Amino acid sequence: MTQRARLLLVGALALTLAAVTALLALEGGDPASPFRHGYLPLVVAAALVLGAPGGAAAAGAVVLLLGPVVLPEIERSGLTPEAVEGLVTLATVALAGALSGVGTTRARRLRARYETILAAQRALAGEPALELALARLHAALSEHLRADDVGLVVRDGPRLVVAGGDGVAPGSVAAQVLAGAGAIFVADAGGGRRPRRVFATPLGAGAEGVLVVEREGELGADERAALEALGAHIGLVLANARLTARQRRFAEELEVKVACATRRLEELDHAKSSFVAVASHELRTPLTALQGFSELLAARRLPAEEVSRLAGIMHQEARRLGRIVNDLLDLARIERGLAPALHRTPVAVETLIAGVADVFRRGRATHPIVVGYEAGLPRVDADRDALERILTNLVSNALKYSPPGRLVRIRARGAAHGGAVEVEVEDQGAGIPAESLTRIFEPYYRAPEAAGTARGAGIGLAVVKSLVEAHGGSIRVESAHGVGTRVVFSVPAVP
Amino acid sequence: MWAIEHPWRPAERSLFAETPAPLLGALALAGLGALALVELHALPEAALGVAGVAAGQGALLATALGWAGAGARAGLVAVALLAIGASAAALHPVGAVAYAGVPLWLSWRARRGAPAALGLAGPVPWGAVWTGLAVGAFLGGHLLISVARTFGVRLRVDALDLVLAAVAYDLGANVPAAEAFFRGALFDRAQRRWPLGAAVALSTAACVTRYMLDPRLPKSVEVIVGAAFYVTLLAAANCWLFRWSGSLLPGAAAALVFFTAYRLLSPP
Repeated sequence: MTQRARLLLVGALALTLAAVTALLALEGGDPASPFRHGYLPLVVAAALVLGAPGGAAAAGAVVLLLGPVVLPEIERSGLTPEAVEGLVTLATVALAGALSGVGTTRARRLRARYETILAAQRALAGEPALELALARLHAALSEHLRADDVGLVVRDGPRLVVAGGDGVAPGSVAAQVLAGAGAIFVADAGGGRRPRRVFATPLGAGAEGVLVVEREGELGADERAALEALGAHIGLVLANARLTARQRRFAEELEVKVACATRRLEELDHAKSSFVAVASHELRTPLTALQGFSELLAARRLPAEEVSRLAGIMHQEARRLGRIVNDLLDLARIERGLAPALHRTPVAVETLIAGVADVFRRGRATHPIVVGYEAGLPRVDADRDALERILTNLVSNALKYSPPGRLVRIRARGAAHGGAVEVEVEDQGAGIPAESLTRIFEPYYRAPEAAGTARGAGIGLAVVKSLVEAHGGSIRVESAHGVGTRVVFSVPAVP
Repeated sequence: MWAIEHPWRPAERSLFAETPAPLLGALALAGLGALALVELHALPEAALGVAGVAAGQGALLATALGWAGAGARAGLVAVALLAIGASAAALHPVGAVAYAGVPLWLSWRARRGAPAALGLAGPVPWGAVWTGLAVGAFLGGHLLISVARTFGVRLRVDALDLVLAAVAYDLGANVPAAEAFFRGALFDRAQRRWPLGAAVALSTAACVTRYMLDPRLPKSVEVIVGAAFYVTLLAAANCWLFRWSGSLLPGAAAALVFFTAYRLLSPP
């Protein structure tokens, strides 16, 4: 109800009271006049519309208006039946005004509390950003709490988020509540012509925030208790909002992770399918060569040089077949989480490198292979076969992924930190894209560019890495687009 | 916002802080001295009335001014003006005009903004003043009708000079002192410490007690009960007017109109 409407209503009630009194006076001021009953509905109406103050004021007015009618009767004739009727009317009107007013006021307060709680819940619903949620809550509370000023302070980790103020001053009422002082009531903030009541109450059970209300008017114990309950409720709603926001964030993160994992699984599935196709082809090629050449040797009588040449080819293909089978066996061990089995002995790296280089030079002399060693290299503590497979894999890759005629360099040197030997295989190929560098040691992975230029199952480097690490060494790769690739691995020297 | 942006420490000032105790002691001694001298016939009986007004109303006004931070000198001036008014009124009813010195001096101070804490400074709240006049008129009218109907008391139209002198006393001493102390000082301090109901109760009870102890109040049950009833209503209404408007003027208007009606009644 607006102020103007309230004033109009008060005026109308006052006029009606005056009219009833005038009717009583016109009847000769008889305290038992039936017109006296006209007061009751007016008082009840005032109480229902204006609450306890309205009911009390109307009842008081009736007592004042009816008093000069009843008291002279008592003064003149004592407690006559008419005087008693008048007194009963006075008591009834006063009681009705008080009870109706108190009941109306309580009902309104309860309604206002529920509306405030509802407004607070609405303000905080579905709003993950704390600043925005507090601003909306501040607006809702300012509208519902009939206060001159409303403030909210909420702790968000190390910072304080404030709505209704610029910042929390040390020693302020809000700061003291945040420090755990409990609810604080200040009867007068001072400085005004009228007292300014201030009440600050913690939000929730802990001191995670504070609700502050300032009003130039009464802030009674009943209302303060209601504000404490509201503060506890807002604390709960804030906690729920935070929890919901966190759950939503977790769900989103989980969704992204599941999507990533699904994509990886799909890639892995695709890579395995490709691997099966490629591996079948890789296995079949040497088998076909062995089958063809062995049939040729069996069916024809060939010169001794030709027989020797074919036997050499068959030997190479058999070695290639063995290497593929060994890689597959190692891969199976890797996938089961087992380290490759090693039989360590002191190995001279120079001899090993020279042997591997010779094998490749004899086999396919498409690339010049240059070998270099640092003088006085220590022997390494390694499985000779495993070390040979590592080198063979790396040199094979260098040859596969660089154009014919380009130099392939194999070098060995002592590690900078000592106690190990570093072996480097360098080519002058197209290089590996940066985005693939981190993945080339994954099983079945093949860089998209590599897949188009040469055959391979995508398991060689994974096996190389597991073999190097099984020795206690490390492996790294450096590549520049159009310049080439350098793979460096280290194995421990014999102590 | 004050509670967030300003440091705060609980106030420890007593309700009666800044009371001009030496002045009140001196006024009490002066009153007792006047009583003794009158008893010894060293002074005429009218001197006791002068001393009573100066000491009684002066104590209320000086305390109110002291609480408002006006200083002891302002209290002394108030007591002196009241003594002058009472002396002039004792010499001749027309001399009661001298009581006007107190409200004139207070309004001069109010224009300079001195006793702002008493609700005397600032613009006049005309709406509240009219409401105060209506309250006073209602209570005064009710008093006249009730007393006339119940006890057959008539209006004192045959001694208008005495009525006007009494009204001058109310205008210059009774109303300013009561409103300044019971509303501007006591009620204002109390409402800044306790709930409104407690402040109203304290101020009203103190005000009613003051009138019950007034030696000029006729000692009949009807008058005492009636005075307690109407002073209670008037004091409570004036508390509400002061809280609503922040000014003493509406309450003073209500009290002046009510006491004018009261002065119109013939003594029992």
